[in-house]
Amino acid sequence: MLSNLVVTKQKVVLVIDELNRERIAPKFIGSLLHEQGQGADTIKAMPAGIHLKHVASFNALVTECANYNNVNNNNNSSIQSVEAGDLDAPASKTTGYNVILPTLADLLCYQSPAFIFGFLNRLRRSEYVRRVFLWASPQHLQHPHAAYILAGCEYLAELVLRLETDTRLSLISRKPGGGVTNRRYACQVSKTQFEVTPLDGGGGSLSPAAGSPNKQATPEVEQTPEPASSTFKIELDEDEVVARNALTLPYERTSEPSEGNIIYTPDADDDFDEEDPDEDLCI
Amino acid sequence: MATSVLLACGLNEQKLPGFVHISEESNVDGSFLISCILGQRLRISNAGTLIVCLQHHYQHYFNAGMRLGYNTNIFQGKTLGVIDVLSDMAGEGLTSKWLRRPDGQTLTEQLVEDIRVQVESNYSSRNSYTVLIDNLSILFNLGATKLQVQQFCQDLAALAKERDNLTVITKLSNSDIYQLTDNNVAKLGQVRIQVLRLKSGVFREVDGKLLIERVLDEGNYACEETRKEVLYKVNDRNVKVFTPGEIGVKV
Repeated sequence: MLSNLVVTKQKVVLVIDELNRERIAPKFIGSLLHEQGQGADTIKAMPAGIHLKHVASFNALVTECANYNNVNNNNNSSIQSVEAGDLDAPASKTTGYNVILPTLADLLCYQSPAFIFGFLNRLRRSEYVRRVFLWASPQHLQHPHAAYILAGCEYLAELVLRLETDTRLSLISRKPGGGVTNRRYACQVSKTQFEVTPLDGGGGSLSPAAGSPNKQATPEVEQTPEPASSTFKIELDEDEVVARNALTLPYERTSEPSEGNIIYTPDADDDFDEEDPDEDLCI
Repeated sequence: MATSVLLACGLNEQKLPGFVHISEESNVDGSFLISCILGQRLRISNAGTLIVCLQHHYQHYFNAGMRLGYNTNIFQGKTLGVIDVLSDMAGEGLTSKWLRRPDGQTLTEQLVEDIRVQVESNYSSRNSYTVLIDNLSILFNLGATKLQVQQFCQDLAALAKERDNLTVITKLSNSDIYQLTDNNVAKLGQVRIQVLRLKSGVFREVDGKLLIERVLDEGNYACEETRKEVLYKVNDRNVKVFTPGEIGVKV
């Protein structure tokens, strides 16, 4: 499923939609998050339309995220403290919000590119925000510098999902260490499901959950800790574990306990007499 | 007179979708659709209608209505409200409020304000209310920017969402240069009607093609849509529609 690829540890996710699905953008992203077990209380969708005219709406979103997380942390820590009977118990780790921004076309309708980049960066650096999703449809961007703005958003994004056609998509992933991977997938879309299969062996390094289209959605916490974009395959499947355990390595063979037998391989010239084994000793 | 074309567009119902957009390609005229819809809305009892005249003045719609079999003057001031921007400008010249821009408001902001006032004063006493705007591309000629037009449409869409039985119908001649604005306005609604010219040239018995796209259901990952194509011919007193292939060259 697509959600396995998109809802990862990467914080800023940009969806570039070539298919004119902009009207369902918030629903689309919301469904990806729900598939990964992200509850509605962790999703904060910014209202589109005339609300974007006021800068206060943007500030309110950031403040709301911070306030809610603080309240949540205080509540959690007090509950934990009461349960554990320990007043010095540490606060629970902040989970943060999944923020769904209005589409880039809607944002550009009311705000300048500089403000949008600044706001995106502010969300990216906020500790109360777990992920930020931005949707951009090139066929709806009517700003004179639309291509430049889109490139700027791609630069800020850590994960760029490009919906190329009804059956093809590509995913560019940037890791904190600087590694970049670009993979292409075939996709099959219905109203309620978005299934993907890797193309050109690109899914070789993916976790099994990411590659198999029929796999049921699993909550994020149950996923393998290895990011989907790793170039190494560390995990072993069951067959590989059995094969590894059955293999005896050379150093193990030499250290095996054995009886003190003399192993002698006779030469071609040997004239071995079984009745007098010490004949050749000239005693 | 115009029932068949409205039936083809799915606009013959008493309750219309919240936002309908008509896209007009370069070199075709879709004004007949506005006159057809206006006539249909006026015939429904206690249904309010507001027409914002930007491309033609009110007299044009009166004349077109008489040819299609209805008299707008009977309804004006009762169920029909009119914002006649062009006549105001022609009559009052530079003192017209559309050109003076009081309080630093832009033309589109003034229009939204006037539409809101009209809707608020009439909506409660009517079963349904329809706002017809013909034609958005004239706003560009009057000095509005693309962003202002987009904001104007966002405001209208918000107005339609606020009220249950309110429908906003817009028309835009994209003239092959306002395609992006056209897309942005169309995404606000569930129905888009594209008035297209014939790709093969000009034909005596057909004026052009209507492509009607309607969103039936918005799924999580894809929309369920219907697309319908019909050919049309605007005659002196009626509009005829044909299915593609029905009309051919007779040898």
